Amino acid sequence: MKTSYGKAVHAERLKLRRSPVWLAFIALPIISAFFGTCNYVLNIEILKKEWFSLWTQHSLFLCYFFMPALIGTYCSYLWRLEHTRHNWNSFLTSPLPLWALYFGKLTQAVCMTVLGNAWIFFLYYICGKIAGLASPFPKEAMSWFFFGTVGAVAICCVQLFFSLIIRSFAIPIGIAMAGGIFGLLITNKGWGLRYPYSLYSVGMRANNPNLEIDMSAHLVNSLTYFFLFTALSILWLRKHEISAN
Amino acid sequence: MPTQNLVETHNLTKEYGKVRCVDSVNMQVPSGAVYGFLGPNGAGKSTTLKMLLGLAKPTAGDITLFGMPVKEKTRMKLLKQTGSLIESPSYYGHLTGEENLQIIQTLKGCSEKDIDKVLKIVRLEDARKKLVNHYSLGMKQRLGLAAALLGFPKLLILDEPTNGLDPAGIQEMRELICTLPSEYGITVIVSSHLLSEIDQMADHVGIIRKGGLVYQNTLESLHSHAKQQIALRVSHPAIALDLLRQDGITAAQEEDYLLLPMMDDAYVANLCKQLVSQNISLYRIEKREKSLEDIFLSLTGKESSL
Repeated sequence: MKTSYGKAVHAERLKLRRSPVWLAFIALPIISAFFGTCNYVLNIEILKKEWFSLWTQHSLFLCYFFMPALIGTYCSYLWRLEHTRHNWNSFLTSPLPLWALYFGKLTQAVCMTVLGNAWIFFLYYICGKIAGLASPFPKEAMSWFFFGTVGAVAICCVQLFFSLIIRSFAIPIGIAMAGGIFGLLITNKGWGLRYPYSLYSVGMRANNPNLEIDMSAHLVNSLTYFFLFTALSILWLRKHEISAN
Repeated sequence: MPTQNLVETHNLTKEYGKVRCVDSVNMQVPSGAVYGFLGPNGAGKSTTLKMLLGLAKPTAGDITLFGMPVKEKTRMKLLKQTGSLIESPSYYGHLTGEENLQIIQTLKGCSEKDIDKVLKIVRLEDARKKLVNHYSLGMKQRLGLAAALLGFPKLLILDEPTNGLDPAGIQEMRELICTLPSEYGITVIVSSHLLSEIDQMADHVGIIRKGGLVYQNTLESLHSHAKQQIALRVSHPAIALDLLRQDGITAAQEEDYLLLPMMDDAYVANLCKQLVSQNISLYRIEKREKSLEDIFLSLTGKESSL
C-alpha cells in the first residue's frame, strides 16, 4: 500500500517517460568538462595545483551559468506538464494532499539534480585521469559535492515556485540564468551564503577550492530557502483557482 | 429509485471581481440520477461544476457532497469518490493512452485491472499503446471519460462531454452516460448547452441562466410544462371572448387569435356552433403546442442554443 507521497512520486515518474529533458543534464556537464580540461591542459604551466586547478576550470561556468539554468529548465518542464492540456483540472482533483503533489515534483527535481551533480564529479575524476593527474583525488570533493547538492536543492525549491506561478516555460529559465550570473557578483561581494543562486556555487567552491565556508550558515540558509519556497508553493496550490475558459 | 441528494448546494455564489458568475444556486442532485445541467454558453455551468470539485472557491454559499461539506479537510475523501471531466480532457500527449491512465490509477490508488475495464467501456482498447498526441479529439474525449471512470466513483461530473465528438461519438457517449447509474451505480452530473442532448440523457434537469438556477426538477416535470392550446381566429374577437367567458372558459387574446385551454373534439365542435349562431365567423382553428424548446427559451432567453 503506497503512501500519498509514494503515489505522487510514482505518478511524476510515469509522466517523465519519453521526456528527453534529462539529456541536458548529461550533455552540458560534458561540454563544460571538455572545455575546462582543455583549458587546464593548455595552461598547465600556470595552473599548478593539479586537481584543485582542474576543478577551477571545470566548475566556473558550470556552477554559475549552466547548473542554475539546467535546474530552471527541469523545474519549468515539471510544471509545464500541468500548465498545458487542461492538466490542472486533473492534477488538482487527484485525491492526494497538495503537499504530496508538490513533493512529487520536488523529488523528481532533487533526484535529477543529485544525479547531475554526481555526473559532474564523475566527469571531473575521469578528466583528471585523462589529463594525467598523479596525485590522489581530493578528499575535499566530498564536501563540495554535499554542500553543492544542498545548495542545488534550495535552487530547486525557488525555481519550482517560479515555474509554478509563471505559465511561461522560458521566463523561469531566464530568472535562473540571471540568478546564476548575478550570483557571481553577490559571491564576489562576500554575500554568497545569503543568496539562493549562490548557495550551489559557494557549496561547490566553484573557481576557489580553498574557500572556507561557514558550513552551518550554508545549511541553515539552504534549509530556510527550502522551507520558505516549499511553503509558498503549497500555499499557492491551495489558493489557486482554475478559472473558466 | 433515488432517495436522497448526493449533491446539494445552498446559495452557491461565485464572483470574479465585480462579475457574479454564479448567483445563489441551490442545486439538488438525487443519488442515482443523471442530472442534466443545462444553460447557454457563459451561464455559469463550468464555474459551478468547478466549485463542486474544489477547483474554484465559492464567494458565498455551501456545497455538500455525499452528505459532507466541501472543505479543505474533506477534499481528499470527496475526490476519492468523484470522477470528473471538466472543459476539455486532460492528458499528457507524449505518453500513450494506457500510460495516461496508469498515472490516474496511481494517484487514485485503484486496481490496475480498472484500466482494462475503462478502456473497454470507452472502446479505446486498440489505441491503448498509441501516443495521445496522435489521438483524434473524440478519442481524447473518450480517454478523458475513461480517466474519470477509473476506480468507478460514486459521482461523475462531466462538463460538456460531447464537445468535439462526431455524431456517432455523441450518440455513443449519450448511451454510455445513460447506462452508468444502472450498471455501475454512478450518479452523473452532465452539463450541456444543448437541450436535445440533455433531453436524451438526463432524468433530472437544472437550467441555469446568467448564473442563476431558473429551473430544477425531473425532466418529466419539464415535459409536463409543454402546454397544448386551441387557437381560434374569428371575425369579432372581443364579442367571442365575452361569450367564452360567459361559458366559463378562460381564454386570452393574442393578436388576431383567441387562445383557449386544450379541450376535446366534441367540446370544440359545440363551441364553434355557438359562435356561428352568434353571427361570428370562424376563420381558423389551430392546435398549438408549447414545445420543450419554447420552455427552455422562455427560461434562458433567446440567446440560448438548442
